[in-house]
Amino acid sequence: MRPVTYSELQVSTHFCFLRGVSSCEELFATASTMGMPALGITDRNSVAGIMRSLVAAEEVSHQHAPIRLVTGCRLDLVSGASVLVWPEDLDAWSRLTRLLTIGKARARPQHGEKGQCFLHWEDLAAHADGLVASLVPGTDGCDEEQLRWMADLFGRDRGHVCLTQRRRPDDARRLHQAVGDAARYGLTPLVTGDVLYHEPDRRLLQDVVTAIREKCTVDDLGLKRERSADRCLQPPHEMARRFGRYPQALAAVEAIVERCSFSPRNLRDQYLYPEEAVMAGQTPQQALEKLSTRALEQRFSSNPPVVYRELLAKELGLVAKLNYAAYFLTVHSIVEFARSQEILCQGRGSAANSVICFVLGITSIDPVVHQLLFERFLSENRAEPPDIDIDFEHERREEVIQWIYETYGHEHAALTAVVSRFRARGAVREVGKALGLPDDMTAALAGQVWGWSEEGVAGDPRLALTLELARELIGTPRHLSQHPGGFVLTRDRLDRLVPIEPASMTDRRVVEWEKEDIEEAGMMKVDILGLGMLGCMRRAFNLLALHKDLHLTLDHEDLQVDDPQTFAMIQRADTLGVFQIESRAQMAMLPRMRPETFYDIAIQVAIVRPGPIQGDMVHPYLRRREQKRRNPDIEFDYPSPALKAVLAKTYGVPLFQEQAMKVAIEGAGFTPARADELRKAMATFKYTQGVGQFKTELIEGMAERGIGPEFAERLVKQIEGFGSYGFPESHAASFAKIAYASSWMKCHHPDVFCAALLNAQPMGFYAPAQIVRDAREHGVKVRPVCVVESDWDTRLVGEGGGKDARLPLRLGLRIVHGVAVIDAVRILAARDVAPFASVEDMWRRSGVPLATLEKLAKADAFRALGLDRRQALWAIRGLGETPLPLLEAAERREEPVSLVALTAGREVVEDYRATQLTLRQHPLFFLRGELTRQRVITCAALRDTRDGRRVEVAGIILVRQKPGSAKGVLFITVEDETGVANIILWPDRFEAQRTTVMSSAMISVTGVVQREGEVIHVIADRIHDRTAMLREVGEIDMPRLTSPGDGATHAGSPDRGETGWKPKPRSLYHPPFRTGCDPEEVIPIRSHDFH
Amino acid sequence: MKRVASLYLPHWPIDRLRRIERRRAPSAEADASAAFDALGAHAAAERAQHCSVPKEGGWRPGARWARSDPDAGGSALADSRREVEAAIEALPNHRRPPQRELGRTSQAADNPFAKGPAKKGLSRPPEERVAAPAPLREMSRRTEAAEPLFRPGTRGWHGEDLQSAVSALPVHQRPSMQELSRKSEVVDNPFRPAPADEVGASLRRHAAMPSLQFPGEDAPAKAGRGAALRGETGRDRYRNEVPAAPLSLARAAAMPPVQGPGEDVVVRRTMRTPRRSARDGHGGEAGYVAPPSLAQLAAMPAVQFPGEGPHPDNHGRSAPTAPTYGQGRFFQTGRTLASVVSRVCRDDELDTSAPVDAAEAPLVTTARTGSRVEVIAANATARALGIGPGTALTMARAQGPDLEVRTADPEGDAADLHSLAELLARRWAPTVSICGTDGLFIDLTGVAHLHGGEARFARRLVRLLARHGVVARVAVADSAGAAWALTRFGFAEPVQVLGAGMQAEALAGMPVAALRLEAPALELLARLGVDTIGQLAAMPRAPLVRRFGRVIADRLDQAIGRLPEPLDPVIPPTRVSVEQRFAEPIATPEAIEHWLRELMPRLTIELAQAGQGARVVEMVAARVDGVPQRLRLGFARPTRDAAHMLRLTLRRMEEIEPGYGIDAIALLVHRADPLGPESLVPALAHEAAGDLAPLIDALANRIGADRLWRVAPVDSDVPERSCIRALPLEPLRAQVRALKTDDVRRLDGRSPDHPWHPRWPRPVWLLRRPERIDHVLAELPDQPPRRFTWRGATHRVIRAEGPERVAGEWWRRSPERQAVRDYYRVEDEGGQRFWLFRRGDGMRVETGDLSWFLHGLGN
Repeated sequence: MRPVTYSELQVSTHFCFLRGVSSCEELFATASTMGMPALGITDRNSVAGIMRSLVAAEEVSHQHAPIRLVTGCRLDLVSGASVLVWPEDLDAWSRLTRLLTIGKARARPQHGEKGQCFLHWEDLAAHADGLVASLVPGTDGCDEEQLRWMADLFGRDRGHVCLTQRRRPDDARRLHQAVGDAARYGLTPLVTGDVLYHEPDRRLLQDVVTAIREKCTVDDLGLKRERSADRCLQPPHEMARRFGRYPQALAAVEAIVERCSFSPRNLRDQYLYPEEAVMAGQTPQQALEKLSTRALEQRFSSNPPVVYRELLAKELGLVAKLNYAAYFLTVHSIVEFARSQEILCQGRGSAANSVICFVLGITSIDPVVHQLLFERFLSENRAEPPDIDIDFEHERREEVIQWIYETYGHEHAALTAVVSRFRARGAVREVGKALGLPDDMTAALAGQVWGWSEEGVAGDPRLALTLELARELIGTPRHLSQHPGGFVLTRDRLDRLVPIEPASMTDRRVVEWEKEDIEEAGMMKVDILGLGMLGCMRRAFNLLALHKDLHLTLDHEDLQVDDPQTFAMIQRADTLGVFQIESRAQMAMLPRMRPETFYDIAIQVAIVRPGPIQGDMVHPYLRRREQKRRNPDIEFDYPSPALKAVLAKTYGVPLFQEQAMKVAIEGAGFTPARADELRKAMATFKYTQGVGQFKTELIEGMAERGIGPEFAERLVKQIEGFGSYGFPESHAASFAKIAYASSWMKCHHPDVFCAALLNAQPMGFYAPAQIVRDAREHGVKVRPVCVVESDWDTRLVGEGGGKDARLPLRLGLRIVHGVAVIDAVRILAARDVAPFASVEDMWRRSGVPLATLEKLAKADAFRALGLDRRQALWAIRGLGETPLPLLEAAERREEPVSLVALTAGREVVEDYRATQLTLRQHPLFFLRGELTRQRVITCAALRDTRDGRRVEVAGIILVRQKPGSAKGVLFITVEDETGVANIILWPDRFEAQRTTVMSSAMISVTGVVQREGEVIHVIADRIHDRTAMLREVGEIDMPRLTSPGDGATHAGSPDRGETGWKPKPRSLYHPPFRTGCDPEEVIPIRSHDFH
Repeated sequence: MKRVASLYLPHWPIDRLRRIERRRAPSAEADASAAFDALGAHAAAERAQHCSVPKEGGWRPGARWARSDPDAGGSALADSRREVEAAIEALPNHRRPPQRELGRTSQAADNPFAKGPAKKGLSRPPEERVAAPAPLREMSRRTEAAEPLFRPGTRGWHGEDLQSAVSALPVHQRPSMQELSRKSEVVDNPFRPAPADEVGASLRRHAAMPSLQFPGEDAPAKAGRGAALRGETGRDRYRNEVPAAPLSLARAAAMPPVQGPGEDVVVRRTMRTPRRSARDGHGGEAGYVAPPSLAQLAAMPAVQFPGEGPHPDNHGRSAPTAPTYGQGRFFQTGRTLASVVSRVCRDDELDTSAPVDAAEAPLVTTARTGSRVEVIAANATARALGIGPGTALTMARAQGPDLEVRTADPEGDAADLHSLAELLARRWAPTVSICGTDGLFIDLTGVAHLHGGEARFARRLVRLLARHGVVARVAVADSAGAAWALTRFGFAEPVQVLGAGMQAEALAGMPVAALRLEAPALELLARLGVDTIGQLAAMPRAPLVRRFGRVIADRLDQAIGRLPEPLDPVIPPTRVSVEQRFAEPIATPEAIEHWLRELMPRLTIELAQAGQGARVVEMVAARVDGVPQRLRLGFARPTRDAAHMLRLTLRRMEEIEPGYGIDAIALLVHRADPLGPESLVPALAHEAAGDLAPLIDALANRIGADRLWRVAPVDSDVPERSCIRALPLEPLRAQVRALKTDDVRRLDGRSPDHPWHPRWPRPVWLLRRPERIDHVLAELPDQPPRRFTWRGATHRVIRAEGPERVAGEWWRRSPERQAVRDYYRVEDEGGQRFWLFRRGDGMRVETGDLSWFLHGLGN
């Protein structure tokens, strides 16, 4: 008897969202161990899992017995019929993707039909060529009509009927009938298993997933559960035994496997970049060469240094070889468009390693000056298309996107998808819901609330079950969503290569594949990203031009040279509001780091990251830097000269991804391609248990080159620490560029910077109150909101005050809570006609609703009309209805009402309530007398306090943070009228005083001062609730002043407050973390930087 | 001169919640262990009573507790008096049965000689009609059900596991003992070997419907309650008698009002005759007890529910016997208003507000507003932590990790408040109106003197509520507004009385919030710097009205008394009833029938005027000797069909014993549901489908409502779980999805699933428990058996189909996680068909041990 061969052709991966529960890797590994030569993936109306399956199949083939992917899809038609199809060749694949695109286009995402696909037999008929098909019989067997359609469309040759054991009553008879039906209509029976998971134990998870899909609990699932049992992979001999009576159905499986040899790898050769009409009659390569050479000459006024020319020639050669010229042209034209519209933009990421990108203006980092590694961007050995990310001004990114759609057409441009996966919290929440746990319990389990202990979990079987299943569910895809800016562009129709579906945003269309899948398929992708700081910088440049007659751009000379004043400011950690280096951790680092050059900022940006922090690179670097500063001649010993060249810039500590790669190349003899693999693997070290094979390879390689094991070990450990959060140097440099530009602006034009930052809100780490306060400390006069003088935006008052004059600011109406733009515009328009004489005059002429006027009154904007808050409110309330003409005079005569004037403290509190900031005294100013009596010192006085002294400081809580890497330590920032103080609260102290910490608006802290250079902390011992005192200031509650970074009030991800702001999707593909390891937990520090 | 009292219940939701929970889980810690003790006691009792002859002499039913001989032990029941006393001592105060209850109930239940004369020939509640041995059988059945808990080696739950699991649960989630025993019952656990069952177990005991084994079915056990089932008694009581517990006040208030003499024939009769019936609900010969002594009252638990506990008016029984009247006893004594009030709420008692347990965990109720879960009400401990209404739940959690959270029940709160209002309207003062969610207004004009003055009235009211665990504040003033302000913003005393005409001065210093203004108006006033009512009153009127509308000015005037404020009184519902008195007593069936024929149409007219249809009607025939004769009729759906109702009544007329004659007949509607007008001619064009309701009424009134049911499908693959008992007329769950006209799913041509679809055939007769079969010859992994032996007979299989694979419902119990059954339909040579299954799928060991069972016959 010859050995049985059987390949399962009906397999749903977990990309069959909320239906399949096994990953492609698990399925292929299992199938390979069982000895199947191929596995047919048929997700429902989707090919989202195909690329992942392909990769899995290739990986598994390396390790186990070879196994091949049979690409396929299960088409669930609207009529209820289900057909499995497997394309024979590329053309058939194109028809399939076209078909899916048609079906998905019919779904209306706005009506809750996102991701669905509506197809009819007629559609299938139009695209049936080249597809091998098999009908999936329904619960009552095959429908005559379905059989007829199958026979018409596919015939005996390509038409099949699935024989699947369901383990339900009358299985045998049903199979017999199916064979008979197939024979009657000239179709071939085909054995399939309808696999949903790779091993029987996944049944539980499958039920849970079904419950999640049906939005009910497993108890209520009832008949909505999968009706047939045994949905796991069965070994070939078992299938042969079960279907021994139908040998022709078994043979049909082999026939299909042989016949459908299409592999998505074939797509790579098919893909063509869109053509650019830059220069008629030239190949893209010629055009690119011409363009870049010309740009280079322009940049160096027709005398470029040799090194640039050589590098350019080298890069162009490589581009020609890899045929990527069209790609560069496309990116170039996008950037050109943005420039023409005066939209600030800047390339980031690895593209900054390329001199082509530099000369074309896509990036602004000079790779020659910074000695960047081109291989990181583009390498011959890496069959990956280049990946260029471009940041645009946040508010004007949409213009760029619309231009791309117009220029390349909706047929050729679509966004890449992001597969949202269950992460730890979501998994626990959803599984808990499916198992019927109460909401608050799942919320507690999901750890949405700080300090919820896990006691109580043990013991209850359902709770334990929830945790167990949730752990299994982590990493399972949930649905497709759109990438914020990843565009795929093609020359031919895009839907020939991959299905496209409408996104929930109107006019956006998304392909089914993620970034990684796109890379595997060799398609071109441009990331069009939004960056708030660029918008802020543009505003600043505009203000400079308007008021100070200074015309700058990001590329301006002034912003390129290192300015000592600016660096002095940075060294003082006076960086509130500045891009990237404004966060608390960054500010704490700056005085120790003392950046002196542009490169130092790049290091600063890169070093305060979870990767370097956890890889223990920060302190060695700072130490060496300190040594270097003391003794500029000091030489650190490097194990080999080659490594010295690599690491000298960072005093022997690898801080950037490129350095890790170079260490591997120079120190351990890796090929560039292998080094790139190392880089990619770094992203997943956390989840794949360390460097593994790379580690031995690295250490051995270094040993060969005479590098001692202890150095090698340390290096490996540091590289390991990178995780996915190490920065490439080019990326850090790109960010440093913007960071430096914003620092420069803050240093030289704090008035302009403050106005721009206020107008770009909400953005960044600090609330307007702190921004204004900081500006005032820098000598900027800020004037309150005023209906007579304020514009919508905060503006500078006066013009042409010379370069260094500090112009006063007038706060804009936008900071008044709840005032709509349209009303502000009306007010401004009416004011332009004639100045307002009274409240009534303003109301009648502008026609804004009274509610808006009241909001302005609350913000004390009527001072200029001689009315305080209460008087203005009284006047506005009296406006009411239009009086009859005759009575008008009579109505006007009103008894005068004397209203009690507001106390000074109340004014402050009202300021905060209306605008979140005050220009009057700080609330604590009014309490200072009392506080001094209680021997509470000011925050400013901390600076003059000895280390180790016991003090008490008081302040309003701004931020409470509990970064996961800090092992439960709580950081609190409090503010009083003199400044801020940073409090550290150890976990046990926090537990003891949790209520106070969580519920107070104002606290006072008794503790010990700890100073380290200029960094001062108070190690808290006792915390007292001073909220009642604070309330006395204004006789009413102060609004909470916690800023967006406060972890206690924003327990989830940082809420930037923008409408429609969504957490940045993870751009790196992580294999499912069955170990329970979750990126959210591993990278607990939430950066509040703009990226 | 108008006087209004304002009642303010500051913590109404929390107080109410506390009452409910205290009742739901009496003695929370003790309950689980008591359940287990009781279970053990059941088992022991069964062992002891297997012998039909008493083991020791001197045994007398119902008197076991009375034995004081310490050596007479032998059963695990609490045998000696001392033990009983100790057991009672161990119970929390409010669950202790009074001594009298122990004695009387046990004698009445089991003593064959104590045959009450009143029981003869009367319609009696079904539980009392059960023969005496029933409790034993009941016990043994229960024990059998519960036994697996203690059987070593059973898979899954062991006694200890279960107990520890139960005690690990939060108190409010702990299952009752019935649930525990039911869960462990073999039949409900399809994946465990089961002992043989007698074939032909009655459908009533068919275990496929475990969920219908309501505690109420175990009613016979009540008879022996007084004996020794220590932990059982109290729990049974509240399970049985307090169905959906929360609304005790509602029930109290739903009681009929006290009618004046002569209004109600029954009342009149019972008032007139010295011999009162124990069962008429108004205190009778057996139950008449003198008003309670002070000591008795003091011994009453602070939270006492109407109808519960050893109130003297309740005949010393802890459970009410009369199904309706008894429950409202606490407030419903038939005595005059003032006497009751003064008796129950003596004003010379110490003024006790509700006891606030210092060690009480912080407790909040929450509701979802948008995406945010907010605290609605918080108890004192939580408020001390700074958690109050409006706090986000996440914030509250962070502040107190041991926070207890309940879902808010605003409807329930409002309903109970309404009931309280009705109660006060019936008993305390005629005009009571509801004010917001946490207060009442009581018009005291001309009423206060009945209670001995306003202050006294207020103190009594506060005390009454305190007795029920409700914190209250009462203020009396000339205007509702002023009284309202005083309760909320006045002094801290629970009772405040403001002299006539003093409102303006009293209010002047209060914040403007005391004027019952809406939040926006308050906020505006605050913004304008108007803080006190005095300030507001001093402002010129016209500009104020222009800016705020009339509301503020009106509220101010109402509070000060310049404007009248009419109250919208709560009107207690009245009950539909008709009655006929006779000049001469009647005694013949013909006469009774005649009068019933007269009365029934009158009743339907009354019902029609009220827009109601009767669900429960009681016929009361007042006999000249004062023993009323009662007939209770239930209807499956609300009805006003006089002929139908009459038919049912006449059918049971022989149960009436006229004795020396009947001098009045009354028809009382005990329960009515809304019923709109009915068309006289059902349908002109086509015949309407047959109405089952009359048939069901006829059957149910004959055999008992609990014996009539229909079977409804359940979406479960496990055969014994695939059906459930449903009420006879309960509509089966609609399977149709409501789809929009343009929904694509309308094009789906597939037929919907149904648990009883013919494509999944089930046997004609499903055994209650699967029975083990032996000598099975079958090929692994998935071939049907060739031969098997069942009950000693060997069957050779000639036809077979299968397997149908039924996987365990893993979310129910952990042993079912892996479990699989493979079902086969087989036919033997004789043409007999069987439904067999094998535990395990034949491939993986963990799915089952490959033993075979027979689960059904036929088909």
